[in-house]
Amino acid sequence: MITNQPRGRRQTAIRLFAREFYESSLPDGGQGEYDPRFVVTKLGAKVNRMYVAGVIERLEKRDTERGPMFSGAVRDPTGLHLWSVGSFRPELHIEMEELVAKFEGGDRFLMACIGKSNHYTTEDGGFRCRMQMEDYAIIDRDTYAGWLVETADHTMRRIDALGKAQSAESTDANSLRDAGVPKDLIDGLGLAMNHYGEWDPEGYKVGVLQALSAAEGRVVSFEEHEAHDASEADSANDSVSESQIEEPTTATEAVTSSGGDLESTVLEIISQHAGAEGIDYDSIMKHCAQRGFTDEDAIEDTIYGLRDDKCEIMEPRFGWFKPM
Amino acid sequence: MSTPEEFENEVRAVKEAVPEADEAEIVKEFTRYKEEFLVPPKHALRSVIEHFQKEAGMEVGAPKMSTRPAAKSVERFSALSSDDNNVTIEVEVVTYVPRMQMVRGEEKQIAFGWIEDNPWEDGGERTRWDFKDWGNHAESLTPGSVVRLEGVSVNEWNGKFSLNVNQSSRVAVLRGSERKVVPAPSEPTAIERVLGMDGFATVVARVLSKREMTVNKKDGSGTLDMVKGRLADGTGTIGFACFGSFDHPVGTLLRIEGAAIRRFRDNPELNIGDRTKVEVYHDNAFASLEDLQSSSVLQIGQLRDGSADVSIIVQLTSWTSRSFTGQDGSEKTVWGGDAVDPSGSCRLTSWSELPIDSDSLPVAVKLNGVRVRSWQGTPDLTVDRADQAEILDTIPWDAIDATDHAVEVDFTELLSGGSRSGVSSTATVISVATGSGIILRCPECKRAMRDGACMNPACNSQGPQVGIEDLRLRLILDDGISNGAIILARASAEEFLEMSMDDVKAASKSDQGESFLADLRSKMIGRKFTFTGRAMIDGQGALLMADSFKPSESDLAETANKVREQWGVFA
Repeated sequence: MITNQPRGRRQTAIRLFAREFYESSLPDGGQGEYDPRFVVTKLGAKVNRMYVAGVIERLEKRDTERGPMFSGAVRDPTGLHLWSVGSFRPELHIEMEELVAKFEGGDRFLMACIGKSNHYTTEDGGFRCRMQMEDYAIIDRDTYAGWLVETADHTMRRIDALGKAQSAESTDANSLRDAGVPKDLIDGLGLAMNHYGEWDPEGYKVGVLQALSAAEGRVVSFEEHEAHDASEADSANDSVSESQIEEPTTATEAVTSSGGDLESTVLEIISQHAGAEGIDYDSIMKHCAQRGFTDEDAIEDTIYGLRDDKCEIMEPRFGWFKPM
Repeated sequence: MSTPEEFENEVRAVKEAVPEADEAEIVKEFTRYKEEFLVPPKHALRSVIEHFQKEAGMEVGAPKMSTRPAAKSVERFSALSSDDNNVTIEVEVVTYVPRMQMVRGEEKQIAFGWIEDNPWEDGGERTRWDFKDWGNHAESLTPGSVVRLEGVSVNEWNGKFSLNVNQSSRVAVLRGSERKVVPAPSEPTAIERVLGMDGFATVVARVLSKREMTVNKKDGSGTLDMVKGRLADGTGTIGFACFGSFDHPVGTLLRIEGAAIRRFRDNPELNIGDRTKVEVYHDNAFASLEDLQSSSVLQIGQLRDGSADVSIIVQLTSWTSRSFTGQDGSEKTVWGGDAVDPSGSCRLTSWSELPIDSDSLPVAVKLNGVRVRSWQGTPDLTVDRADQAEILDTIPWDAIDATDHAVEVDFTELLSGGSRSGVSSTATVISVATGSGIILRCPECKRAMRDGACMNPACNSQGPQVGIEDLRLRLILDDGISNGAIILARASAEEFLEMSMDDVKAASKSDQGESFLADLRSKMIGRKFTFTGRAMIDGQGALLMADSFKPSESDLAETANKVREQWGVFA
């Protein structure tokens, strides 16, 4: 009764760490008018509703044509969960205003966030997912630790199911069931295995270990480089690691080696040249032109994409941009 | 990368159709289908042949679609007429019964069953039609799934309409189903497996119980003799119904081949019809009647609405009777009480007097062949005849105190089973639903009103009302695998909030409860809670009713340890 829930039945909130979610690239469902839409992770979780948690790392309010919206991110042991509160959820706006004020005042806090998965495709064909917030609460450390343990448990359950599925004769539902894959994961794992192919979930185990240790109070970051590099590299376009902001030279190298992609170029320009007030629009255009990008519409789209979708940059005052 | 060799057969087929086609070009075309469109060479064959036929200036056989009548896409069966033969419609498959049939001298597997239109609307009106599957779409047409049928045709016979799903029809599964159709097997299947199957089954099982009965035909055309009972093997038990004679006494080992699996209120039952083969089977190693009888004794936690022929031992904790005037004007009495066992609690109803003295309670009762009806989540064991109940001398467990008897059940286990009461479970609150706090109830039907009006169409006072204030909380509990709504009625809500209803009223006065709810959300969302109460579970989901509700008291370090040990994750 868990997979293939009949329409009208509420979707269960999947517990998952940031890395498992942002490494997903497989949408599912949504054909019928009332069909729920899912993001299928590499571990076979079909994510429609999700429950994530972490410390607030980004939060800003933006005014759009359709009214104000908020976007933010919480960090868990494996990376950032990006989320937004749409202009169509005015019931959360008053509280969000308060949170932004708190955040801008330098306050940091743990949040439990419940929302729906959402995904979009970038101009260069990349698949990005994030969460549309439905509800949240500011939580204490114990509640967060509880979430870490529960999410570690669910992640390991999926890793275990993936192992069973990999030993199954085929990826059809009956073989997976016979191989001992739990009912709620059969559908998603079948899809995931056909889409993602062979891979080793060892990296996700590092996240689980990190989470369990953190929950137990040993907040050590063993094998940090492995976990950190992997997670940040896989979403190079999605988030700038702190080191890139602080050390522009390494950032340049990284970007040059990855090729002349407009988005990373714009991000790099803003990171390098933004003063205390940021860098103004025209200067970004000039720098882009120097690097061979002259299509102003494309550059403008990229800037707004970085500002609105990726939360990589902000616009503290009109026409001036700086990194988050 | 693709290699030319893997398309060898297909290339040969294309060369046969279009001898002048260039082999390298053919391979290129198949590679493109495979890599760009993800179409395997076998499925791309027709398109590739047509492509080269066109290129060679050959007359391409008119594509099938153009010779077919224009496709008609409808939402409802009512929009169809008997001459429609290229129809697209979305339906839910209700049943799918495969059958071998001689078609033009060839034995073919066809299937028939029921489908319903309007599959997406919750509780909406649906029309049910018969259908026949001529194209062996068993994999897609599983009962419970919602599918889009394309290219199906309407059949009318004696004024009755049905749909033909043809070999050329396409079936797109829009929403899958858990159950699985098994083509009529001749090898016996364990009963445990049959319980989750649809279609036909062959079993080797012993007759555990049987009773002859006469039922009135639905169309009023008379009565029908039938035999109902229960079969058992080492893996489980299943009810059976036989229309016709069934002369095998209790204890007989039978091989029953090709019995149809039918479901009644989610209880699978084997139907022995005139096409089912029943023969006495010999196997000295098969479990004895005594073993099967003792292992088929159920516990309260395993009861399902609609079960029949249930054997169970319960501890009776209360017993009363009440009299009423029956439909025929005669005075009738019904007895009833509360029952518990180590797995939960339930009700017991008897239509004949049992030798139970309410002063000697608690007492253990052994019940045989009783049926189960559930009322609002509480199973009710129904005794029809006094000989179905036997009072035991001793209670086979330490007498249970029924006042706070609650069995701890894993949340997902609870929600994947049947309705139960006297249970306790733990999950996370992920939403405080609207309709929590002070609500207004309709003075007549007692249901919660919306916007100052009773919305219950069955209520005499439907419409604007002066409602009666009440307090309740509606929360969504979720453990990451299952979820359900839980209701805290006034008493449990007051206890949980540590506030009286008047306190809540005062707190809600200035802003219609907005800040009261905001406060509640910030205190509850993302946290685990443990409830005690009952669970009403049906095809639509789960509704839990809490007698008590409190923050979960699990030990974090212990839980973390358990996770490490279960999955073997150590640094």
